[in-house]
Amino acid sequence: MKKAKAAPGIQDERAFHNVALTLMTLLAIYCIIPFFLMLSISLSTENALANNGYTFIPKEWSLAAYDYMWAKRYTIGRCYALTIIVTVAGTLGNLVLTSLFAYPLSRKDFKPRNFFAFFVFFTVMFNGGLTASYIVWTQFFHIKNTIWAYILPGALMGAMNVLMVRNYFNANIPYEIIEAARIDGANDMRIYARIMVPLSKPVMTTVGLFAAIGYWNNWTNGMYYISDTKLFTIQVYLKKLMDSIAFLKSSSAAAEGAALAFKSLPTESARMAIAIIAILPILMVYPFIQKELVKGMVVGGVKG
Amino acid sequence: MSKTISQVSEYDGVLAQKKKARRKEAFKRTLPLYFMMLPGIIYLICNNYLPMFGILLAFKKVNFSIGIFKSPWIGLKNFEFLFATKDAAIMIRNTLLYNITWIILGMIISLFIAICMAEISKRKAAKVIQPIICFPSMVSAVILSYIVYSFLSTTYGYVNRTFFPDHPINWYATAKYWPFILTIVHFWQSSGQGSIIYMASIGGIDKGLYESARIDGAGKMKQIFSITLPMLRPMIILMLLMSIGRIFNTDFGMFYQVPLNSGLILKTTQTIDTYVYRALLEMNNVGMSSAASVFQAVLGFVLVVVSNTVVKLVDSDNALF
Repeated sequence: MKKAKAAPGIQDERAFHNVALTLMTLLAIYCIIPFFLMLSISLSTENALANNGYTFIPKEWSLAAYDYMWAKRYTIGRCYALTIIVTVAGTLGNLVLTSLFAYPLSRKDFKPRNFFAFFVFFTVMFNGGLTASYIVWTQFFHIKNTIWAYILPGALMGAMNVLMVRNYFNANIPYEIIEAARIDGANDMRIYARIMVPLSKPVMTTVGLFAAIGYWNNWTNGMYYISDTKLFTIQVYLKKLMDSIAFLKSSSAAAEGAALAFKSLPTESARMAIAIIAILPILMVYPFIQKELVKGMVVGGVKG
Repeated sequence: MSKTISQVSEYDGVLAQKKKARRKEAFKRTLPLYFMMLPGIIYLICNNYLPMFGILLAFKKVNFSIGIFKSPWIGLKNFEFLFATKDAAIMIRNTLLYNITWIILGMIISLFIAICMAEISKRKAAKVIQPIICFPSMVSAVILSYIVYSFLSTTYGYVNRTFFPDHPINWYATAKYWPFILTIVHFWQSSGQGSIIYMASIGGIDKGLYESARIDGAGKMKQIFSITLPMLRPMIILMLLMSIGRIFNTDFGMFYQVPLNSGLILKTTQTIDTYVYRALLEMNNVGMSSAASVFQAVLGFVLVVVSNTVVKLVDSDNALF
């Protein structure tokens, strides 16, 4: 009796399972397929693009776009190198500032810790907005057209990260360890560097990865503060490239001039090739870091 | 009487001195901690607290040639000017409509994906699918604009060439399509990431519940609606309230760079964030820009406080403060 009743239930469950699997596979294809379009454009000849438009499989294959990039290796290489410098420096700075701030906040014997936690947290609730921070950074600190414009505004230390690291310290490193180290004569800096940081690798990895991706992808700071082409990161370079194309396409009045200007710009396929090498580093490390990122998204998703 | 008082005060004096010494001692002991926080404090002051005073700019007629401090106060004039323009109504409407639609749709899509992913979580395929559906959130808005452009470019774009070869649509000049385009792009980029939090919560539900439901003859749908969703309710409410707290904020890159800053479609792509930027750096109108900025910041602050108070009432463990 019971078996007879259970059988359709199982069938029902199997059907549901298969539907879920199919739908999620389709979703994954949907998420990944635009990248193939980009790749295909970058591997097509200009002729094929002009005749057939953008297609998912190149009608005529060509590595011309990548040749173009090689020819332009000084410009693109400089943008790339600057992006790497900004990412590395920003990430390291972020990790140091965040963990240095989090350590005192985690110390139970540090009386003003609640005040400082609020000092950090208040920045999440209220901010002066873009206009005010633009004026502060440009009028008081004069960061226009300096590399600091990429590293400092808005990106160096996030309040939620400070609180996340503090929580990690609190939950995972017993106060007795700090006390014991203190009795052995270690000062706070030593406790921080030799105990807190090494014992909190997981949370530091998460914070560092998100900071690194944030710096790599950041283009708004470049747009606000950088006009010197020598200081373009790869994202800003791509953004300006897209700007000039959008501008030229819209200015049909100056059609002849536009056609000339178009010639000096990278071809359709070359532009996509540059966009691809801008994603490439993330794509290459992604399989190895995605577990950490997911963990970070769970923690950050609730409070952030 | 007077003697006792003086004695007491003398005693107090000694106590106070001892207290002072002890406090000094404690301060000395915690001094290194202050030093460790110093870089962070300086950074927060420069990056966050100084701009907070910047909201005062909204009440000034800023003139950089005489300096910000000497610029005259003009009261609420900037706000009056701002709200007299058509732009104000458009950007507030867009900001709210996009956010409300995306919050509701996002909730449904995220839950749907999370339930499906939980169902197949034991399959090997899930270990490939999950990273893939989260990957789009790793690309910047600039790259996103290249991807969207390869679909929507008028002459070469995949969509026009495939579906409208005879009458290509000028997507970047037609406002009415953009609510749909941006919604598709938004969910392409964020739905995987949005579902992760629910996936984690589903993972935390006691498997015994499902076992006993199955024994009682409950089908999959019944299990979802009677176990999974009710168990996720606190998380759903929490996420809803948190997103309501950010309802005046939009993703700048999504609304500025993905439509390629096209002026012809502002009717459906202008939000408060893009307006603040355009007023500041494209129209050079600091007054309007800061008025919009302050409007956003103040309402955002009020909403964060209100939604947090509600979170506290619903589930005090998850309150932000």
